[in-house]
Amino acid sequence: MGSDMIRVQSLSMRLASGGRAVDVLTDVSLTVPAGQFVAVAGPSGSGKSTLLGLIAGLDQPTAGRIEVAGVVVTGLDEDALARFRLARVGYVFQSFHLVPTLTALENVAVPLELGGDAEAPARARALLAEVGLAERAHHYPVQLSGGEQQRVAVARALARRPPLLLADEPTGNLDSATGKQIIDLLVGANRRLGCTLVLVTHDPALAAHADRVITLRDGRIVSDE
Amino acid sequence: MRRFVVGLAWREARGAWRHFAYFLACITLGVGALVGVGSFADSLEGTVARSAKALMGGDVEIRSTRPIPEDPAALVPPGRGGRPAITRVRELVAMAQAGPDETQLVELKAIEPGYPLYGTLVTDPAGPLDTLIGGGRVLVHDSLLARPGLRVGDRLRIGDATLTIAGRVVTEPDRAVGVFSLGPRVIMASEDLDRTGLVRPGSRVRYRTLFRLADDEDAALFRDALAARLPAAQRVRTYAQAQPGLRRFWDQLTMYLGLTGLVALMVGGIGVAVSVSAFVKEKRASIAVLKALGAGSRPLLAAYLLQTLLLGLGGSVAGAILGSLVQPLLAPALSRLLPIQIDLAFSLRAVVRGIAMGVGVTALYALWPLLAIRRVPPSLILRHEIEPRLAGRRPWAAAVPIAAGLAAVALWQAGAWKVGALFAGGLAAALFLLAAGARGVIALARRARWRAPAWRQGAANLHRPGSHAGPVLISLGLAVMLVVAIALLDENLRAELAHRGAGQTPAFFFIDIQPDQAQAFAAVVAGHGAAAPPELTPVVRARLAAIDGEPVDARERAGREDAWHLTREYVLTWAAAPPGHNTLVAGRWWAAEEAASAATTEPLISVEEEIARQLGVGLGGTLTFDIQGVPVTARVTSLRHVDWRSLSANFFVIFSPGALEGAPSTLIATVRARPEDEPRLQSAVVAALPNVTAIPVREVLERIGAVLDQIALAVRLVAAFSVAAGLVVMAGALAITRRQRLYQSVILKALGATRGFVTRVFAVEYALLGAAGGLAGTALGAALAWAVLRWVFEVPWTWAPGTLAAGVLTATGLALAVGILGTRRLLGRRPLGVLRGE
Repeated sequence: MGSDMIRVQSLSMRLASGGRAVDVLTDVSLTVPAGQFVAVAGPSGSGKSTLLGLIAGLDQPTAGRIEVAGVVVTGLDEDALARFRLARVGYVFQSFHLVPTLTALENVAVPLELGGDAEAPARARALLAEVGLAERAHHYPVQLSGGEQQRVAVARALARRPPLLLADEPTGNLDSATGKQIIDLLVGANRRLGCTLVLVTHDPALAAHADRVITLRDGRIVSDE
Repeated sequence: MRRFVVGLAWREARGAWRHFAYFLACITLGVGALVGVGSFADSLEGTVARSAKALMGGDVEIRSTRPIPEDPAALVPPGRGGRPAITRVRELVAMAQAGPDETQLVELKAIEPGYPLYGTLVTDPAGPLDTLIGGGRVLVHDSLLARPGLRVGDRLRIGDATLTIAGRVVTEPDRAVGVFSLGPRVIMASEDLDRTGLVRPGSRVRYRTLFRLADDEDAALFRDALAARLPAAQRVRTYAQAQPGLRRFWDQLTMYLGLTGLVALMVGGIGVAVSVSAFVKEKRASIAVLKALGAGSRPLLAAYLLQTLLLGLGGSVAGAILGSLVQPLLAPALSRLLPIQIDLAFSLRAVVRGIAMGVGVTALYALWPLLAIRRVPPSLILRHEIEPRLAGRRPWAAAVPIAAGLAAVALWQAGAWKVGALFAGGLAAALFLLAAGARGVIALARRARWRAPAWRQGAANLHRPGSHAGPVLISLGLAVMLVVAIALLDENLRAELAHRGAGQTPAFFFIDIQPDQAQAFAAVVAGHGAAAPPELTPVVRARLAAIDGEPVDARERAGREDAWHLTREYVLTWAAAPPGHNTLVAGRWWAAEEAASAATTEPLISVEEEIARQLGVGLGGTLTFDIQGVPVTARVTSLRHVDWRSLSANFFVIFSPGALEGAPSTLIATVRARPEDEPRLQSAVVAALPNVTAIPVREVLERIGAVLDQIALAVRLVAAFSVAAGLVVMAGALAITRRQRLYQSVILKALGATRGFVTRVFAVEYALLGAAGGLAGTALGAALAWAVLRWVFEVPWTWAPGTLAAGVLTATGLALAVGILGTRRLLGRRPLGVLRGE
């Protein structure tokens, strides 16, 4: 594994909010080696989710440089970013974000199909079975419980075996029992598949599972241990 | 309570303008089409009413196909005013010969001093009439001078007379304005017409005697007094009844144009329903809160209804302005069909009517989605559901008044029961079929398993919760139906004209051949290129005097003023065997001996089925004709169906042989010739028999085609409003679902989809919508056109694959364009902010 999966240098993000500028992230730098399980902790509004989104190229920073698996993310245009995510990143959101018009199976198949995988349906079925939802394959998101939706989202994120798995408070909208299933799935992917896992959480108990915990406050790294 | 309602209506409208822009545009387009047509119709009516005396040529007119023997001055009843001014006019069609090979069908008008009693005959050069006509001088219309080599000062031969063109007729106040004319006008003095020798027994001359009354004299009383002194065959009219044919034509045309415009409003109404439905859905949370605070359904409904009506009023006022501006665009397309200059005027009546319809249609279409307010449970505030279930059943009871209201709007616009009911029924059927089609398409989209991911997701968008595919399909389908039906009708009618202009069609009808000229005529045509010997048919002109013994006069006075079939001139013939293109539908044809014995007692007649129905005469009934003053009563022994498409001499009434032999008759001839032989054949006949008139069939068909083109242009212009409204409904549905689309596009991008892929998803969705709407609309349009051709024009249907394909492809293309333009701006959005709910 010798190389670094993520290199973030002097990252700043300023957002306009209600007419005034807010510094969401200020001069953040960090490096994550491949295969590591990192928890990003901190109170709400500390910039955790923004950091994660910027690493995935879901937005462009105001200043700084991000490199993921050797790709300089901050220099890419929208379509190149999309291809980068497809190839390298699996993302799990706090509020699931399944495509509402597609069934569970179809949602899982989306990244496979975007990658031109001819056996997308069969592999999506297998992935759903891995998260224990084989019998819910043809249900639409509105017909699934929150925990089920998040399991579909995890299966979708893992579909292409991405080297980097980003999870933004994946258990935030779930009860603790359901939340544990999700964490087990994510950590399992990190352990068994060797995915680098960056998990945003404000749950100290959850952060305790990680190899490393980075704490943010007011957009700055206050601890990294 | 009222303050609550008004206040809520205002507060809720505030900030929703972007949302309602499409709503307003829908109503504006619909009302714009109606007001445009209505204003034009009113301008036309105003113009015709203002120039009615000039159009008729007097206050009162006696019109006859027979000379009026009496001195017109002697007919004048003793009145309170002074003596009326009187002038007489004779009109007929004839052949003008400008050179050895130059002959032209012209409309002759012979006038007397005093003409015109109203209006002005504008000539070039200007000058007193007696310096321009008389003594062999005539005035001609420009279109005659358009012939090569013919100029003012040249000579024309008409009948037996040689005449000199002394100038041009620029405008003629009382030009008989049918939409079709047979040829250019030639104006001559009355004594010159007598020198042509064209006025003989049996020739088609229209005799008009015109009266200009003193200003204070009542024209209607004067007319009644004149009519009482004249036989029924002589029609007496006041200026108020001038040009009934013209008025009928324009009334019909503007009625159909108005109904075409109403389709735009009905399409726009669907947009209103979509918009209101989305608005209510968005406001569910506030409605639930207000209900939880104790507001009843009724004031809430009232508030939103008030708001909708105000929006409808705003859209309608904008539409009225649009329509008033559109009128000058519509007028040029149609005014070429009219001999008079139409003074375009702002029509308050059309505006008020358009606004009333706009507001009414808004209310009717908005009511159904607004009634969902009653079904929003206050408990909604306790739950957060994406698609909450509404309490209670759908308000089916309201469907009946809504449908009745829309039907009433159709009847009001049509202004006629039958047409209005047909329109409303047709619209209801189209809406029902389109709704069923939309359901089918959505079900199909749900079941179809596309292989390509962009196709699968695009199709999935059609059936996702909150999709507006249904209403979009219906409105688009309706607009496409209208446009395709119009295109197909136009195309079929033109094909029919072209078909008639070729092949089996005769080259000429020659009329006014005197019986003693028959042999000479046959010899001339045989020697000058006729493809076959001419078919000569004897004809006798007559007026209907009585039906089953009851005088037509009495029937006519019983309020059947415009019953043309009672007052028209009938051209009668006789035959031993039924002519071709005729099939007996009732009774039987006479045997020779029957005919022979009937000739001396009561003649037998065979009547065309449609006219028999209109006259109310059946088998065994009698019709009495006035033939040059002699009444002839005949018994109906058979009814015939006539194939009017066969351009041959067809007759409403055929007598048994022998019965009309004593009556003054002429012959009409049907002559076939190759197109290249037509000019010399026509010239030869006119040179040899100057009194015979040639009607060139090809030329007449071309004139009809030109008129058809003008009408089609105007109808298309109005139909364009429906298409625009359909596209606005589509764009509105896109705007309403903007948030869902944005969400979908950023999820896909977060998962690694490029902008190209997301564009393909939306393109597939809209292309499928367009294709489905286009297919359904084209199919319905074809059905509509087929029905109209079959039952109104009685013309056979020909497939026009080009038009059908164009209907589907254009709808798909337009929908695709709307979809891509409407979603383009979403694609640039970065996912993070959207996904985090910012």
